[in-house]
Amino acid sequence: MSGFPYLTLMTFVPLAGTILILLLPRDRVETIKRVAALFSLVPLVLAFAVWAQWDQALPRAYGMVLLEHAEWIPSLGISYTMGTDGLSFPLVFLTALLTFLAVVASWHMISHRQKDFFALLLLLETGMMGVFLALDYVVFYVFWELVLVPMYFLIGIWGGPRREYAAIKFFIYTLVGSVVMLVGILALYFGTGAETFNMMEIAAAAESRIPARTQLWIFLALYLGFAVKVPVFPFHTWLPDAHVEAPTPISVVLAAILLKMGTYGFLRISYPTLPDAAKHFVVMFAALGLVNIIYGALTAMAQKDLKKLVAYSSISHMGFVLLGLAAGTPLAIAGAMYMNISHGLISGMLFLMVGAIYDRTHTREIPALRGLYVTVPVIATVLAFTAFANLGLPGLAGFIAEFFVLAGTFPVSVTWVAMAVVGMLVVAGFNLWMMQRILMGEPKQEYAGLPDARPIELFTYVPVVALILVLGVAPGVLMRFLNGPALEIVQRLGGM
Amino acid sequence: MEWNLVLPELIVTGTGLGVLLLDLFLTGGGRRAAGYTGLAGLAAALVAALRLMPAAGRGELAGPFWQGMVVGDQFAVLFKVLFLAVGLVVLMLAVDFVERRRMPAGEFTALILFAVLGMMLMAGSRDLIVIYLGLETTAVASYVLAGLLRDDVRSGEAAIKYFLTGALASAVILFGMSLVFGGLGSTGLPNASALAEALAGAGPSAAPAVPSPLLLAVGLVLLVAGFGFKVALVPFHFWAPDAYEGAPTPVTAFFSVGPKAAAFAAILRVFAPFLVMVPVSGVEGKALALLPSIFAVLAVLTMTVGNLVALVQRNIKRMLAYSSIAHAGYILVGLAVATPRGLAAVTYYLLAYAAMNLGAFAVVIWLNNHGTGDEVDDYVGLSQRAPLAAAALVVAFISLIGIPPTAGFFGKFYLFMAAVEANMAWLAVLMVVNTAISVGYYYAVVRNMYLQPAAEPGARAAGPVPATPLVGTALSVTLVAVLALGLLFEPLARLAGLACGGL
Repeated sequence: MSGFPYLTLMTFVPLAGTILILLLPRDRVETIKRVAALFSLVPLVLAFAVWAQWDQALPRAYGMVLLEHAEWIPSLGISYTMGTDGLSFPLVFLTALLTFLAVVASWHMISHRQKDFFALLLLLETGMMGVFLALDYVVFYVFWELVLVPMYFLIGIWGGPRREYAAIKFFIYTLVGSVVMLVGILALYFGTGAETFNMMEIAAAAESRIPARTQLWIFLALYLGFAVKVPVFPFHTWLPDAHVEAPTPISVVLAAILLKMGTYGFLRISYPTLPDAAKHFVVMFAALGLVNIIYGALTAMAQKDLKKLVAYSSISHMGFVLLGLAAGTPLAIAGAMYMNISHGLISGMLFLMVGAIYDRTHTREIPALRGLYVTVPVIATVLAFTAFANLGLPGLAGFIAEFFVLAGTFPVSVTWVAMAVVGMLVVAGFNLWMMQRILMGEPKQEYAGLPDARPIELFTYVPVVALILVLGVAPGVLMRFLNGPALEIVQRLGGM
Repeated sequence: MEWNLVLPELIVTGTGLGVLLLDLFLTGGGRRAAGYTGLAGLAAALVAALRLMPAAGRGELAGPFWQGMVVGDQFAVLFKVLFLAVGLVVLMLAVDFVERRRMPAGEFTALILFAVLGMMLMAGSRDLIVIYLGLETTAVASYVLAGLLRDDVRSGEAAIKYFLTGALASAVILFGMSLVFGGLGSTGLPNASALAEALAGAGPSAAPAVPSPLLLAVGLVLLVAGFGFKVALVPFHFWAPDAYEGAPTPVTAFFSVGPKAAAFAAILRVFAPFLVMVPVSGVEGKALALLPSIFAVLAVLTMTVGNLVALVQRNIKRMLAYSSIAHAGYILVGLAVATPRGLAAVTYYLLAYAAMNLGAFAVVIWLNNHGTGDEVDDYVGLSQRAPLAAAALVVAFISLIGIPPTAGFFGKFYLFMAAVEANMAWLAVLMVVNTAISVGYYYAVVRNMYLQPAAEPGARAAGPVPATPLVGTALSVTLVAVLALGLLFEPLARLAGLACGGL
């Protein structure tokens, strides 16, 4: 269990960066930016290091890699336990990569109160890392809530015109959801009587020791906390507001990582711990997943604001994760996990593109944009690439995820698949229509001579585009992580 | 041994009298010396109290001393340490304020010391008479403290309202105590095990049987009402907002944590044995078994009304007054669940609440010393003008809302835990709803500080707002405590459990 504390460092190095930035004087903006970049680069380097040694001699226990353990509140069975596995590691990697890119993207985009901004962004990274790495419920919850505060300020201070409303709405929705989740966690703790908040030990004891009816209630309490984050219809209304008002780099983090905290919660906690309750609610999961897919897609179609379109498209894609969970076959679960990552990359990229366009034209109104292929060819090409990935073009990451989910759902219910396919058609429709309207056509006079992608922007695009491509043609790169956890969850469900 | 035990009280009393004498010879800027003397006295008393900790932990001081008038159990010593720390922080916050507002420094310092003395007596006795004496000592000092801003009408109003309701509450408490005396046959309070034996009628020990459990139950209900006034539970809360708003701000800070925590200590001392005892049969037993339900109803009322009314406040002192009412409601949840863990949670929450509420008040006082008004709208653009003060207030508010990793989170977490464990998850859920409501009014201040640009450019030009060493120290101490109480949850919760175990 001992060894190099990769996970602790990945989690707390950004926090050290926050503290360092707070100590720097306000006007040393260049230094602050460099510190932020450096301290967000460290977790990324560490993540690469872990990836490189994944199959080798990393210490393993409980099916977890790199387990770190220290007593914190022994009288209540609370310990600082961190660990990762094939389920969380890809998300950790995504967090490290996209936070670093968000820092780089903020370099020129954030023009006031840079000190506060970068300090909060790094604090946010600590929270997100901790959520994916914590294996103790209380530590998990502490990190889960830690995400809330910096996000509130990041939207509220640097956001668009309706930032105040969006920030507080995000805050209250998630706070209520997560506190109800806390009650569920406590019910698990006392229900199992295991005197521990360790996730694995509670998962091992919950099914046999808690009455079936209580399990359903606990499942719903946890569900509320996670569903708000995903977000599942009808808890989704904070998302379009928050995404649209947030500054571009924060929209990227929101879409790419924060939403995954919800689906990660289902996969790490709800399903393995309360599989019977999960099976009981399969129809609810499937129905709400399908609502997410179709409703999200139709609403996206109706948007005139490019950023809102991307936001609703996120709701649609998260529906696939829910559908995969409902189907409960190894392929569908793996597909759901795959979707977590591919959607993180694609939606993050889309928000970057929207930001790049807005930076130049100062509008996000789709009807006001035209002929970007001619004015900013590089940006337009990358946007087209990402939009195709978003609509599920074979050869790109989104396709693999959707294919796995649908192929895995097919043996369970053809109806679900058919309905999801309808949603996919609408997704394809709004992506194509959006491209047609803003990329093609006669370029507008006032947009002539706009600068194309700057080197620093290309620097943020290249790694994401490359990953979308790699995950589209070589799914094995990611599947080697996901196979094991997906099978384990299916075994817990008692199927296949 | 006995004298060692009351050494903190003796030091505080001596310092208080000394300050009054010293005050005769102080003039002009020298008046600050009164405050410094008070600080030195409180610090010395705090050291003396801390030195009692190890022996108290080993149970060597459980007494009873002087016919049970004084006990030195873990509970008493823990609360004495808390009260002295609160007094110390409040006095640090007050010295500059008192000088600037031309308040009588000597009287102010002496009154704070006497109020702290009364609080220590309340926590350090098992005898109803001594608890009442402590309560009145604190109360009388508090009435005067509220009215010390002699050129401010609202300060006078605060004092008179506080006095009238306080006198009524004292009368109710005294009447309740007389009935409890009638019921128990003694002014000495039993601990839980002695009480259980006494109620069962035939204990192997020499404990006297309870002559009249019914009288006891009626007396206890009166005590709930009387103490309810003191800690401002709904529906006995109406005096608090006016008193809090009108009193000098350091005094408000003191009211909201000091006498309140002391009254809760007395509540724990009086009610704990009845809450955790084994149920007894018969009508009397049923009457006593109603106590937790009474606390549950009061908890729900108090937190809900406190939070809802706080939402519409425009004055930050008034807002914090309603917020402190709401927090009293959260604390009652620990009594309503009536388990050892619930009582420990109450104790831990009182520690956390003292740290975070004093932190919030420290910022209000700091800003007020620099001419910032007490209206929520006076805080517009503060993050630009006084970034440190704004950030400190955010930390205090995050803790008051109950977001990790602060002490406020762990306090609520412990209360939640106690409620879920006692199969009262509904109470925990109501706390959740209330927590969400409370975001609203804390948020209003944070929004003004961070999301609103400074209204008049002049305010920004006012330049940085430096904290004086005393206010800066007090604020740092409370904020460090807000973060440290969470990380040190294990030893503190253990201490709280130990303290309440002896009740």
